[in-house]
Amino acid sequence: MNLALRDVRRHLARFIGTAAGLGLLLSVVIGMQGIYAGMVDDATILTRAMRADLWLVQRDTRGPFAEGSRLDPSVEARAAAVPGVRTARPYTYQLIQRERRGAVLRIALVGLGWPDDPGRSLPLVRGRHLHQSHGEMIVDASLGLGIGESLTLAGEPYRVVGLTKNALTSGGESVAFVSVADAELIAFDQPAEAAMLERERVVERLRRTDLGRGQPALEDLATSPRWRAPALASPPLAAVLVQADPHRLAEVREVMRSWGDVSVYAQGEEEALLLGGVVQRARMQIGLFTVILTLTAAVIVMMVMYNLTLEKTHDLAVLKLMGAPGPRLLGLVLQQAWLLGALGYAVAYGMGAVVFPMFPRRVLLTDTITLVAPLATMAIVTLASALGLTHVMRIDPSRALEA
Amino acid sequence: MEDTYAVRAVDLSKTYGTGQAEVKALDHVSLTIARGTVAALLGPSGSGKSTLIKALGFVSPADTGEVFFGGRLVVKDGVPLADLASLRRRHLGFVFQKANLTSFLTARENVEIACEFGGKSDGARRARELLEYLDVAGREHSYPEMLSGGEQQRVAIARALANEPSLILADEPTAALDSVRSRNVMELFRRVAHDRGAAVLVVTHDHRALEVFDVIYEMEDGRLRPH
Repeated sequence: MNLALRDVRRHLARFIGTAAGLGLLLSVVIGMQGIYAGMVDDATILTRAMRADLWLVQRDTRGPFAEGSRLDPSVEARAAAVPGVRTARPYTYQLIQRERRGAVLRIALVGLGWPDDPGRSLPLVRGRHLHQSHGEMIVDASLGLGIGESLTLAGEPYRVVGLTKNALTSGGESVAFVSVADAELIAFDQPAEAAMLERERVVERLRRTDLGRGQPALEDLATSPRWRAPALASPPLAAVLVQADPHRLAEVREVMRSWGDVSVYAQGEEEALLLGGVVQRARMQIGLFTVILTLTAAVIVMMVMYNLTLEKTHDLAVLKLMGAPGPRLLGLVLQQAWLLGALGYAVAYGMGAVVFPMFPRRVLLTDTITLVAPLATMAIVTLASALGLTHVMRIDPSRALEA
Repeated sequence: MEDTYAVRAVDLSKTYGTGQAEVKALDHVSLTIARGTVAALLGPSGSGKSTLIKALGFVSPADTGEVFFGGRLVVKDGVPLADLASLRRRHLGFVFQKANLTSFLTARENVEIACEFGGKSDGARRARELLEYLDVAGREHSYPEMLSGGEQQRVAIARALANEPSLILADEPTAALDSVRSRNVMELFRRVAHDRGAAVLVVTHDHRALEVFDVIYEMEDGRLRPH
């Protein structure tokens, strides 16, 4: 006869209530872990999706995600010329904020190196990659835009042709992918008045110089509506992404490290920079919070188990007097603790499945979390039942004889 | 040769406290209860009755003296010479002032668990038989709190009989019952002793049913004497 189950059956409603309470607490612990895992995954999707062997960024910076990186566009051609390099693509990255139908959209705009990189490596859930260098974009579904919808940026419409899922920055901004040229257009977008003033200043300067006076066509160029002031000098890139022959990767890296204007990071290093810099504080914060929550859960389970045992003191004394073997009585407490843990975890899991998808940030239940969480729960309830077990061992059977 | 007594206590003494607070709960008590005998133990509160029950039930041994069980010396001067928990499990039955049934088990399960502790393989069948024997078979699925005081006491007696014990120790089992139910319980003990050959020692204040007992002892200030 299983005493633990008999006791649970007698106090079923209370036991389920306790398990539900524990489950809610565990769901918070699991949720915190999931938020952290989601944050890491979101952050690294930006680097992983680029499928680059090497990231070239501005010398002595940790860009482009951890800090700003401005790289001369000539680096792309220089990198492509290194023996062993298969492709070298430009990459830009910037955060923009726009309003659409009254809602604020924060977008991390990534420039893809058209035509070599139209976004084939992106994890698309719907639509296609870029088919033209201008006016198309791939966005994350979290932006709320559908295929075929347009977003006006820098005065021009950009049609959504593909959707990704969970392409978010470490700060939670949705990522949009356009060609590098479009990204630069959007980045250097100016209000109409500012553009007109800048054009007038350029025309004034041209008229004061021999170059302007000798070549009047330059004035026409400067006053064209498609002209952008910085276009006189190509805008800088955030990074250049390099793919190389696997067996020549080290050699390529050595060559590029000798250049004075770039720092070279392997894919893993770039991810580590991203996680170490941007996500590190959040990780520590969530980690500490999770530890506190775990300890709280352990203490609560301990007190619940102790109280459940305490109120059975007389019953246990009677059973001891009847000669109940010690392991049977200890088993009663332990089995109840395990049942409580299992039920609590089931509640937490079910709760998570329903509620976590509604969270604004992704809660990612990785295989590790799914495997470790139930084991940790069972370990916690086992440890937490120590107080109850000690009480059982100390019960004097003669208490049963007391009126 | 198998002894005809279930339990024999020889020269048991037990003292609580020290100095001026010293109380002699048992003062050189000797007692033998034969199989098939129902014995009463009378005495005022604090006379040492419960201490004697605890010593004979291997719950709290006396400081000095010997206890023989089934012809075997099992406790000498407070030192156990056998597995006392196992003895309790297999050969002793307890009935308390309050029925003291396990609250989360039904009437039948309370009996069945005792069978299980005693190593009986057919606990469920035996529990049903005992509940039937004690006229509470109809309440076998009820929890203790759903039973009347008399029904609880009958279930407790069924539990005490679960392992066909050689000795049943009952500590004021009728204290919570009215006179009719009280007499019924006492007669039940007599029936159990005579039908099943068990020795029964009943601690009681109730003088109304003394004719039920084969032997009557009285305790006063830790000393035992025939009534």
